[in-house]
Amino acid sequence: MNKWLSRIVLVGALLALGFWGWITFFPSPEKVIRRRLGELAKAGSFSANESLPAKAWHLNSLGEFFTPDVQVTLDVPGLQQTFTGRGELQGAAGYARSVVGSLSIEFPDIKVTLAPDHASAVVNLTAKGKVPGQKDFYLQELRLRLIKIKRDWIINQVETVRTLS
Amino acid sequence: MEINVDPAQSPSWLQRVLIGRNPKRTLVRIVVLVAVSFVVFTFVLLPIRVEGGSMLPTYRDRSVNFVNRLAYLFHEPRRGDVVAIGLEAGNHIMFMKRIVGLPGETVAFHQGHLYINGKLLDEPYVKLRGNWEHEPEPVGLDEYYVVGDNRDMAQEGHVQGRPKRERIVGKVLL
Repeated sequence: MNKWLSRIVLVGALLALGFWGWITFFPSPEKVIRRRLGELAKAGSFSANESLPAKAWHLNSLGEFFTPDVQVTLDVPGLQQTFTGRGELQGAAGYARSVVGSLSIEFPDIKVTLAPDHASAVVNLTAKGKVPGQKDFYLQELRLRLIKIKRDWIINQVETVRTLS
Repeated sequence: MEINVDPAQSPSWLQRVLIGRNPKRTLVRIVVLVAVSFVVFTFVLLPIRVEGGSMLPTYRDRSVNFVNRLAYLFHEPRRGDVVAIGLEAGNHIMFMKRIVGLPGETVAFHQGHLYINGKLLDEPYVKLRGNWEHEPEPVGLDEYYVVGDNRDMAQEGHVQGRPKRERIVGKVLL
């Protein structure tokens, strides 16, 4: 009886280990996209006491999340603008850094809808931006289109969503 | 009839305070309490923390409240209700607004006052009023017009609009 029990426990442990290995080494596209967007939120956040090389490095790493022909359409009260291309986007991000000083970005809600061929995905997310020292935070709904290039998910299109309309 | 309790066998006062006389029964109570709390605070009363000042002075920044998810089980939202509105991606962050316009109505602001179908609406809850101007906007048949109570803030910085009925998560309880 004890022998059987130990065998069952061993098989269960092996199955659990195999399952853990599978989801760790072969994560679902949705999980990869969520992780990637978490990294994007980190890369988009910045603090006031960053050195110049760190700023440049962060801006450069931010560009890696987007395709070279990315299109970003902003339609929020007081700002309607479209950026085309990674260079324009990085320029705008650099300008925002010089104006705001420091910013903390989070994506508390992410909804991923994969295309049937699993080669692209549409992501709806809630972006929360907080400027240290300010009482209120900024909230913006975004719709992103990501495409799979080799094993990476890269953002190809970003547009703001008008909340409550 | 007398019952003799062996002092060595009876639980100490500390044990009695912490886990009661009958640990099995205490365990069952804890499991039931956790299960009931999970169900209530996930599906019925959603705990929320208010952030921001768009609902001032009715709801203060950083105050805690609950959203009653069953409030609209038997009737549709009504004018004046303060509701939580979920976003497309999820409900970790929601908007807390007051319903002022019902489906099919037209909503407008003139000199900070709210007009429904061209008639001035009495809003006793608005204590802070600015000079908002908003052209008449029709509300769709599956939509509600929502706005915060703090009309003193810049109109551009105040989120208001016409969410669909399905976006209304529930009614704010307190």
